Amino acid sequence: MKLLRIELKTRWVKILKDIWGNRQRSLLVVLSIAVGIAAVGMINTARHIVERDLYGQFRAGNPASLILYVSPFQKQLAGAVQNMREVETAEARRVVAAQALNSKGEWKDLALNALPNFNAPKVDQFRLESGAAVPAGREILLERRSADGLGVKAGDMLTVKMPDERTYRLRVAGIVHDIYVMPFSLMDEATGYVRMETLQWMGEQPYYNQIRLVAAQQKTDRASVLKTGELARDRVIEPAGYQVFRIQIPGVNSDPGQHWAQNQINGFLLILQVMGILAVLLSGGLIINTISAMMTQQARQIGILRAIGARRSQLITMYLVNVWILAAAALLIALPLGLLGAWGIAELAASFLNFNLSEIAVPFHVLLLQVGLGLTIPTLAALYPILEGTRTPVVQAIYHQGVRGEEQERPIDHLLMKLKALSPPVLLSLRNTFRKKTRLAFTLATLTLAGAMFISVFSTRASLTEQILQVGRYIAFDASLSLKPGTQRQTAEREALRIPGVQIAEGWASSSGVILHSDGSESKALEVVGLPHDTQTMDPALQAGRWLRANDTAAVVINDDLLESEPDIQVGDRIQLKIGEAKRWFTVVGITSKHLSGARVYMTLEEYGKFTGRMNQADVIRLRAEPGKLAAPQVQAQIAAELETRFNNAGLSEQTASTQNTLFSTFTRPFNIILIVLIIMATILSIVGGLGLTGVMGLNILERTREIGVLRAIGATNASVFQVVIVEGLVVGLISWALGAVVSLPSGFLLAGAVVKAVLQATVHYRYSPWGLLLWLAIVVLIGVFASLTPARSAARLTVREVLEYE
Amino acid sequence: MIALPQTANTLQTDTQLIRLVQVVKTFQSGAGVFHALRGINLEIAQAQFVSIMGKSGSGKSTLINMLTGIDRPTSGEIYIADTAVHRLSDSDVARWRGETVGVVFQFFQLLPALSLLENVRLPMDFCDLFPRAERSERAMALLELVGLADEAHKKPAQLSGGKQQCAAIARALANDPPIIATDEPTGNLDSATANQVIGLFEKLVEQGKTVIMVTHDAEVAQRAVRRIQIADGQIVSDRSG
Repeated sequence: MKLLRIELKTRWVKILKDIWGNRQRSLLVVLSIAVGIAAVGMINTARHIVERDLYGQFRAGNPASLILYVSPFQKQLAGAVQNMREVETAEARRVVAAQALNSKGEWKDLALNALPNFNAPKVDQFRLESGAAVPAGREILLERRSADGLGVKAGDMLTVKMPDERTYRLRVAGIVHDIYVMPFSLMDEATGYVRMETLQWMGEQPYYNQIRLVAAQQKTDRASVLKTGELARDRVIEPAGYQVFRIQIPGVNSDPGQHWAQNQINGFLLILQVMGILAVLLSGGLIINTISAMMTQQARQIGILRAIGARRSQLITMYLVNVWILAAAALLIALPLGLLGAWGIAELAASFLNFNLSEIAVPFHVLLLQVGLGLTIPTLAALYPILEGTRTPVVQAIYHQGVRGEEQERPIDHLLMKLKALSPPVLLSLRNTFRKKTRLAFTLATLTLAGAMFISVFSTRASLTEQILQVGRYIAFDASLSLKPGTQRQTAEREALRIPGVQIAEGWASSSGVILHSDGSESKALEVVGLPHDTQTMDPALQAGRWLRANDTAAVVINDDLLESEPDIQVGDRIQLKIGEAKRWFTVVGITSKHLSGARVYMTLEEYGKFTGRMNQADVIRLRAEPGKLAAPQVQAQIAAELETRFNNAGLSEQTASTQNTLFSTFTRPFNIILIVLIIMATILSIVGGLGLTGVMGLNILERTREIGVLRAIGATNASVFQVVIVEGLVVGLISWALGAVVSLPSGFLLAGAVVKAVLQATVHYRYSPWGLLLWLAIVVLIGVFASLTPARSAARLTVREVLEYE
Repeated sequence: MIALPQTANTLQTDTQLIRLVQVVKTFQSGAGVFHALRGINLEIAQAQFVSIMGKSGSGKSTLINMLTGIDRPTSGEIYIADTAVHRLSDSDVARWRGETVGVVFQFFQLLPALSLLENVRLPMDFCDLFPRAERSERAMALLELVGLADEAHKKPAQLSGGKQQCAAIARALANDPPIIATDEPTGNLDSATANQVIGLFEKLVEQGKTVIMVTHDAEVAQRAVRRIQIADGQIVSDRSG
């Protein structure tokens, strides 16, 4: 059988052999391209998967536009709301705060949901995973993450404790997937679903307390949806004799119809996208340097090729094809790597946000993007060095190699010439560093940006930590407990102070209210809080004005969260508050920082009592073991347990106590994941920077092979040669570190601001990270040394004869 | 040694093949202006074996770089078979050189990644004077001419300096150029190999090629029919016979 012989033109044979013959350099270029393209693929594919799966599943279940919290009603009320033309669907729901015993014998919070019709839920539809879709009497369906968290499965028995402390055994009939509730792992609260008859059997009255509605028009428009809720309240619910306590768009600062974490996810993905683009640009800089290295190394060969008849256009094509071959190889690595990374991010997101992944595949538009960038960026980056490299006159390319002066002298060269106190080898290293200024500039740009991003990530971490600490000022208690309506404050405080170890007990009261505008309209719902003016369970950070005083009358302090919806309010302004039918004017005396609890207005307990008529009543009790210092987590847990037992026994509460530690742990959990992903991105950028320096050091040594031969001929030992090379690498690393430190000041501010805005919807309290700076210094020193080691070793190994017959 | 393949590429002209008219070349360096060539006038006929001899810095290498188009004169004119080489663009001079002048360097300048066969094929690849199907065969014939057929698939680093130089000569003949220009071809060779290389040049001249050889070696220079002496950028003697 005759084999088909494909004979390539010799110029292509040369290119292929050059690629294989310089495997290390070829690998460097391939990795440079692959890292950036993989990052872009990873982020864009992950984004596609999240949009397709998470948001798709969310939309598919008919998400509620609005939740109305209503006084006890029967399901016909929801039907009446649904009859409004502004409402597409309305469904009643009963939610009861209970507790469930997990497999470890611990009580965990459990939100029991009773639906009017399990056969056809209309809003926030959950899907069956296993077992029965409809629970019978004395049975419960569990959300799948809740089931995992509680350590139970379909068929098991679950012990549930109701607010009146009675316990009941329910059979877990089925496991469902509810994408509309925050996962158990995030909130430490389980979600279960029972029939109303089961609730009745558990001692509850058969009524509903929520209406979940889907707007008919402009479903995603916040103002329109809120208006629909208000219409439902004013036209149907309140005329029917029921009270609406709160109108809420589900989620965390979300818009209607959006997943509760959509803003945070989108913001975070945007940040990753920017970092991905940065990785691509950095790899472009790396390619410029590496291709410049290649063209310099090939200078003599290019001269020979031109001497034997090659035109410049032919040479340009040859070296572009060289780059394209490497780019193609890089794509072969980047495409699967990007997919793998996307899979990792998607798995992490799916686990964290509780959604199902369907297909893990690179979407066509992302594939196009990766291939497009993978070919375009290297081509554009390589074009300049290739054009420059093929422009060298033939005589210079062939004959003028070896020890010679480099670029035009600049002021830095004159400065370096003045340094005479250092030893000649060190002087040689310093002057070598600045010999090729353009190349040095590219290398420094790559390393500096990588360093700036690395330090910025750590500054972001420090800023997030600071942000969280700022929030912590507003939950400066060891334990707190919600009280039964009508509880006397002094009774609660007296009872709390009986708990061993507790020195501070404060009863706070709160109500839902609004601000009345001059045109008669109302603000969004806010929380009016009455508290002791000298509270020791909160440390407010004032942005303007002052805190409350004992002798204040009609004075309030608002929080920065309120200013999001009421930006015109300033210290000194008078605002009219309304709670129920009560209205009153107050003067704003201070504004506290944002503390992510929603819009709040603080006033003294006395003012609160006068305003609401609820004199001396408290809705929550907050405890501290000691003033000035929070107790250890175990102590907090003990106090909380004692508080809960005593108050439940005394009939003052039916709720579960919480501690600052558990609230904080739950709150900070997502940030750790975010920071891990950011650190991975920063590591990618560091790798690109390190690759850049490695390539440049290799080239620098190659170009000075003759010079090194001369050094060896005049007595330099291997150690001396090593020193010259490694010091040069270190100098480049240290210069980039200094520049990176300066650039990281604004870049850290921007990155931290973007992350905090995306995740917390807040303004950043920026903190620069000295630890990040020091860590990068250590890394850049290591990069400088290791990047120089291989070239130094190669240089030291060459014999004098070999290098001097370099010609 | 096997006879040279019959070549058709000998320029039939009664006039001088190479003409240099008042060629001047100056270099700017950190140390000031250096006059490498000071108004050279030179004519070389076809099928001549010419040696150009001079000390280091005399301008002999610069002169041959002018003839090959590798370097450009600061002023003056260079005509090679009526082509005004000094007026050609960079792209055109490369193509012209590939077709007209075979260059042999002192340090061989073979591409290290390619085999001898591939090195010899390379000029044919750039100039497209021979059909692709014939190139390997022609390259092998040229290697056979210089006694390297058995080493065709070896890389330059696997061969001695003498063999590398012979391979470089085979490469220079790839496009059958009428002129062979060589700078110190025997500078890195032992006397026996040097003798072999010069013998090859003599054979090429017999075939009608014009060989111009720069050397600092008087004994080598004597092998040429016409011997030009250059000093301080000027021709100081020009002898034939």
